Amino acid sequence: MLAVFWRKQRAAIEGFHPLHQALVHQQGFSVSLPPADWRALVASLAQHQAHVKRRKWRLPERVPLVLVPLIQVLTEDMRGKATLSIAADLRGPDAPGKAGPQQRLPARRPVRSVAQWYAVDPWLRIRAELRDGSVLDVEVVDRVRYRKIHKVNSRGKHKWKTKTKTVRRIAVTRRIAKGAAVARPSAPPPRWIRTRVKSGERTVVQATAKVLANYPEAQLPQQILQVSTETFRWTRRTA
Amino acid sequence: MDEEDRVTPCDVTTGFFVLGHCGRPAVAGCPSCGKPVCAHHAGPDGLCPECADRLAGGPASPYDPRWARGYRRTYYSESSRAYNDTTWYSSFDDYDRGGFDAGGDYSFGGGDFGDGDGDFGGDFVDS
Ligand SMILES: [Zn+2]
Ligand SMILES: [Zn+2]
Repeated sequence: MLAVFWRKQRAAIEGFHPLHQALVHQQGFSVSLPPADWRALVASLAQHQAHVKRRKWRLPERVPLVLVPLIQVLTEDMRGKATLSIAADLRGPDAPGKAGPQQRLPARRPVRSVAQWYAVDPWLRIRAELRDGSVLDVEVVDRVRYRKIHKVNSRGKHKWKTKTKTVRRIAVTRRIAKGAAVARPSAPPPRWIRTRVKSGERTVVQATAKVLANYPEAQLPQQILQVSTETFRWTRRTA
Repeated sequence: MDEEDRVTPCDVTTGFFVLGHCGRPAVAGCPSCGKPVCAHHAGPDGLCPECADRLAGGPASPYDPRWARGYRRTYYSESSRAYNDTTWYSSFDDYDRGGFDAGGDYSFGGGDFGDGDGDFGGDFVDS
């Protein structure tokens, strides 16, 4: 029974958009496509839940939460022949190759040992050619600190636990079109966002935020858009 | 006065960060808000996309092609608050309500509908 059920789901997956399949099987992809192709991917992803129930073939959470909303927003600002490039690696910080070397921290009883290491997870990189001639780059990198603690309690029982702390860096860079009017916004950005501006033939505005990732992931797209906002405030139209 | 001067352009706001007005020739006014709307943007009952979304009730799912447009106003209001910059929202709001003003747009070269993109893909043929 279950085998039949899974065969049907597997067949459904084989009918999905190739990038949709990559998200199911590899939890990511890296590709450059015009907006119409991205919309085709979104239309395919919309079918997932209705046809695929098996946990193993579930979409990574950040697909509906982050990837789809950002594709929708950015393609709104693009012309038909422009390119949207996305490199997404949604395997998470525990995926092989992301952890750095372990180091032992001093421990005091009842703690026997503390091992600490960091994992660097650059899970999202986007480049969009916008219709005003500017180019927008978005990069999100999580840096996770792990502490594995070994404890022995008064009855001689051993316990291990791992604590994590994630610092997220969101960087948005906008290379503004040649000759476009650029003006410093009247108010500075919120304190958690830093701005750097490089003038030249094309002005480059970079907004960076480093935040403790202790909030629900559902807030991620808003947060990425909030950081992006700063790069657009420099070319706002004057009312 | 030549032919083109008499055509009322579609006033539907396009884009998210880079705002524009559709600019295709309007065929009617939205019965709810009065905006001139082109054949591509006129929904059931001739409504403009934003009025149609509003009457459909609630935000569409992020998979829905209409989602970003529905979320746009919320985004401008939230980011305006986050930046403590009320003009960020009001400049969007003015633009969204403001009536077609080609001079106030970003200069997109061939105009906002020059190469046939926009909300409805590549199906616009300049005739
Ligand atoms: Zn309307
Ligand atoms: Zn229109």
